[in-house]
Amino acid sequence: MRLCVKTAGIVDREVLRTLLIEAVDDLTGSESQLLEPTLPWDGHPILVADAEHHPVLISFDPINSQSALLSGLQATEQIATALPWINQVYAALHKQLRPPRLVVISHDPPPGATALLAGCPKLKLFSYKVVRINEETGLLLEPVITDGDTSIGMAPDSEPPAIARSEEPTRGPVALPTLNEEEKGYFRQL
Amino acid sequence: MACQLNPAWQRKAVSSDRMAEISARFLSNTPKTGQDADVCRVIPFLLDNPELGWVTNDLCEMLTQKGHSSVLHQLHESAEGGLHTQLAEALRTQADDCKICLLPTTSTETVLANAFDHVVLLVPANLDAILAAYQRIKLLSGQNVPEIGIVLVGPRDQHAAWRFFRKLAIGTLRYLDVPLLNLGFLPEQVIPQHAAHDHHRDNFLTRISERLLRSEFYSTWPDRKTARENV
Repeated sequence: MRLCVKTAGIVDREVLRTLLIEAVDDLTGSESQLLEPTLPWDGHPILVADAEHHPVLISFDPINSQSALLSGLQATEQIATALPWINQVYAALHKQLRPPRLVVISHDPPPGATALLAGCPKLKLFSYKVVRINEETGLLLEPVITDGDTSIGMAPDSEPPAIARSEEPTRGPVALPTLNEEEKGYFRQL
Repeated sequence: MACQLNPAWQRKAVSSDRMAEISARFLSNTPKTGQDADVCRVIPFLLDNPELGWVTNDLCEMLTQKGHSSVLHQLHESAEGGLHTQLAEALRTQADDCKICLLPTTSTETVLANAFDHVVLLVPANLDAILAAYQRIKLLSGQNVPEIGIVLVGPRDQHAAWRFFRKLAIGTLRYLDVPLLNLGFLPEQVIPQHAAHDHHRDNFLTRISERLLRSEFYSTWPDRKTARENV
């Protein structure tokens, strides 16, 4: 019953790779399939097929968000030029020849994330924290969200419509801090 | 890959080895006595509402029954002289040999003003109260963040308590980077509105008091001699 939750620091690249592979459903949606845990290109991204059998590239770096983004863009270009070969090798893609989507994970969002997301709606950016709950290590993945986008990763938006609140709840003499939309959404239901 | 959960959210399978390890840890970690006999342990409680005062009252009685003589002192934000004077007065006028002083308050501002390094939040088991607790923790996290423990009051059962705690703990970790310690719960069957004081309530209170002491979830206050001299 006792739950001890702690954050951990930056992890090694390969440890992060393992944690990301374990959390791949959170990144690319349920029923994803791992195609390649380590692609032989810069940054060694991960290749996954999502539930619709489309390729998804997961590019990451424990610290350097720019490196994660650049490696991901390069790998996306390489896969796009090799689509026939990729679709022959990986049966899970069902030979649809779809270009890959890119998911970038780093400790902090890359510079210009807002402009990037505005210009590339299919790009997904996540920041991560390593957490230890009791003796287990795992990832806390947080999507980088722009003002106009409240979707999280590939998960369908199942949140009920926002409930208008006339006033913030207060207790005691001091008004409690207001919550942003993400916090309100999180606490809307158990 | 389908249906595979991130291991962070998977509950560890309970094995006999694991249970033995936990038992050994708890049994070998008995509360210290002797050298700190003159030190008063102070535990601030931040109550969601004044009706939860029964929890600290009963907890105080329970601690005393278990050999940790305790006093209860309501923190008053407007009282003159600040916490030092209030506490010294309480120690002088109440039990002279008390080892633990429980400090209930409903004011987050009072907790902030006294910069406690440990705070127990008493949180009713409903979503509104969870949200209010989150807002209070958000307020507390603006300065030096204290260690925060949670006691849930009135959940239907252990699973409900777990769900409410998990909602709050993940929220504070995700948005505030504040970890929480689960100190236990008091199910709805034992709250005064549903039952008279009986041994079931005592059992749950005992668990909470043991967790408080074994996890050393308190602040040590200057010895009472110093406190009395400050009056």
